Amino acid sequence: MEDSINFNLPKQTHDIFSVMARGAFISSNGSRDGMNRLYDVINNPENFDRLQAYFNVIRYNIERGNNFFYFAKLSEPNSEIEKKLERFERYIDIIDLFASMDNKIGIGSRFRPGEIAEECNANVRLKQKLQKIPLYRSETLHNKVREICDLMSRDSFLELEDEKTESYKVLDSYSYLLEIINSVAIYEDGSNTSDSQGLIYN
Amino acid sequence: MSLQVNVKDLLSNLYTNRGVIELLFGQRDQITVNELLGRGDISEEQYRKLVSLDILFEYENVVSLNDAVVSMFEDFMEIGEVTPGFINDYINELKRHIRFYQEAREMRFLRSIKKYLKRINTTLTREIIKLQKNVDDTYKNEGNYRIKLQKLEDYREKRDTIIDFIKQTSSIVDETRVLFNITNDTELFGIVTSLKSSLIENLDFLIEIQTDITDFINKIQFQLDVYKKAQRLKEVKDHGALHFKTNFREIVQGINTLKHNGHKTPKTKIPIEFLYSDEGHVLCKRIAEKYKITRLMVRGVADKMSVNFKDKGLEQNIKLDTEKLVERFLAQTKQNLFEYLIEYKFPKAIGNVTFEDRLSLFVEIAMEYQTKLDFKYRLQYHDYIEDETKLKKRLGYTLILPVKEKKEKVK
Repeated sequence: MEDSINFNLPKQTHDIFSVMARGAFISSNGSRDGMNRLYDVINNPENFDRLQAYFNVIRYNIERGNNFFYFAKLSEPNSEIEKKLERFERYIDIIDLFASMDNKIGIGSRFRPGEIAEECNANVRLKQKLQKIPLYRSETLHNKVREICDLMSRDSFLELEDEKTESYKVLDSYSYLLEIINSVAIYEDGSNTSDSQGLIYN
Repeated sequence: MSLQVNVKDLLSNLYTNRGVIELLFGQRDQITVNELLGRGDISEEQYRKLVSLDILFEYENVVSLNDAVVSMFEDFMEIGEVTPGFINDYINELKRHIRFYQEAREMRFLRSIKKYLKRINTTLTREIIKLQKNVDDTYKNEGNYRIKLQKLEDYREKRDTIIDFIKQTSSIVDETRVLFNITNDTELFGIVTSLKSSLIENLDFLIEIQTDITDFINKIQFQLDVYKKAQRLKEVKDHGALHFKTNFREIVQGINTLKHNGHKTPKTKIPIEFLYSDEGHVLCKRIAEKYKITRLMVRGVADKMSVNFKDKGLEQNIKLDTEKLVERFLAQTKQNLFEYLIEYKFPKAIGNVTFEDRLSLFVEIAMEYQTKLDFKYRLQYHDYIEDETKLKKRLGYTLILPVKEKKEKVK
C-alpha cells in the first residue's frame, strides 16, 4: 500500500494486476467483480500512464484494445507456438460456430447455452460443427456448449452473467479474437473470390 | 367513439382504473380478459364500461389499450416509435393558415399559425430525443443482427426526413418574415425566435445521431465481415490448408497476451508464520482434508475470545486474592466483613477497586466461605455518597464476623 502512495497509483492497482496477470482481459462491459470499474480506472489517461510506468518496471505492458485491456510481457520471446496454434485453431472453430448461428452472437449479446444447443440440434450443419470442436468429454450437445462457454469465460471473452438462468454475456474482449481473425490473410489461388460480397453462410 | 364522452368522463374513468391502465400500458398485447379480471383490480361491470367507452379493446380475448391513450402517454414520456409524419402534417397546416392570413388578416388565423409553430418546435425536439433513444436501444438490445441493421437503416432514413422538415420549416419562417413583421405581435416574435434557435440546435443533434448510426452500422458490419472470414478460415482449416494458404502461423506467433504464451500467474509461497495463525490453521485443515493427512487435523482453532476477556482477567486476579483476603479477615477482630472490605487497601497491581467491586467481593466471600464466617442475621447500615449522582445513599448489609470470635464482639 505504501508503494501506491509513493507512485500515486490508483488504489485498485492490486486488483488490476491480479486480474491481468492471470492473463485475463479487462473489458468495459464486464460487470463481475467490478470489472467495468477497473476498466474505467485504467482508461483514465493519468492513471494509465502511471500504471504503465509502474508495471513496465516488472516487465508487464498494458495493451489497449477496443474497449478492453490486457497484459503482455516486455522483451520476452513469445513461446509455446504449438500450443498457441492449437488454441487459436479452436477459437476459429468456436467463432465459426457463433457466426453460423441464426441469431449471431456478437459483442454485448446475451445467450444461454441451452439456446445454442437447441439450435444446433435442429440444424445438421451446426450440429456437425459443434460435434467436431475438439473438447475432452462432453456427451450431450448441451454439455458441449456449456464446456465451450466455460472455456470462453475462463479466457475472459464471455461472462456468466446470471448463474441461475445460466445466461452468458459477450464481453468487449471478444473483439480481440475478431481482430486476430481479421488480420489473417488468406492467399487466394484466384478461383474462389466470388463470395466477398455474398451472404453469410448459415 | 361508441358513446358520447366528454373530457371529464374520460379523465375520471381513466383515473378510477389507473391501475389497469398502467398495467396495460406496461405490458401491451399480453394480457387476456380472464387474466385482467382475475387480478381483481377491476370488476366485470367497470371493464364493460371501459370497453364501451373505447378506452379498452378486446380482440381474440386479448385486451389492449386504445392507441390514442397509448400514444398520449408515449408522447408525454418521449418514448415509443419515431413518427416524423406528424411534423409534415403540422407544416402543411402551417402553410395553409399562412395563406389564409395573407388573404384576410384575422386574429384567428394568426392564432393557428402560432399554435402550429409551437407544435412543430416541440414535436421536432421530441422526435429527435426519441430517435436518439431508439438508435441507442436498438444497437444495444436488438438481438437479431439482421433486424438490427434494418432498424438502424430505417432510423437513418427517418433522420433524413426530419432534416428535410427542419429545412422546410426554416424556409417557411424566412419567407414569411415580412408578414410576421407586419403583425407586430411580440408573442409570435418570441415563438419564431425560439423556433429558429432550436432548429439550429436540433440540426446539430441530428448530425451527432448520424455519426452514431454510422458508427453502429460499421461495427456490426465489421463483425459480420469477420464472421464471414472466420467461416472461410474454418473452411480452409477443414481442408487442412490453414498453415499453408494463410499467414495464420505468423499472426499467432505475434500474439502477445499472457494467457496464450504460457506465462503463469506469479505465485508466492505462504510464510511459515502464517501457518501458525488461526487462518493458517483453517488452510491447513482444508489441505489435510483434501489429502487425508490426520497429523495436520489434530490442532484445533482456539475458541473465540469473549469480548470482555480483559475484565474477566481482573476478576480472576481478585478471586485469586480472596483466599488470602479471607485469611487476613479471619485473623483480625476489629471490623466486620463489610467494613473490612470497604476499607481494605488492595495492592496497586489490581488497580482501582470500585465500591461496586468491593460489594460483589463481599457477596462472593459471603457465599463461598459460609462455614468460616459467623452470620449475624442483623442489618447494619452504611452511608455513602454516590459518585455519579452525588446523592446520599444508605446501604443495608448483613453483619458478618469471623467465626472464631465470640459474640461479645458484636457492636
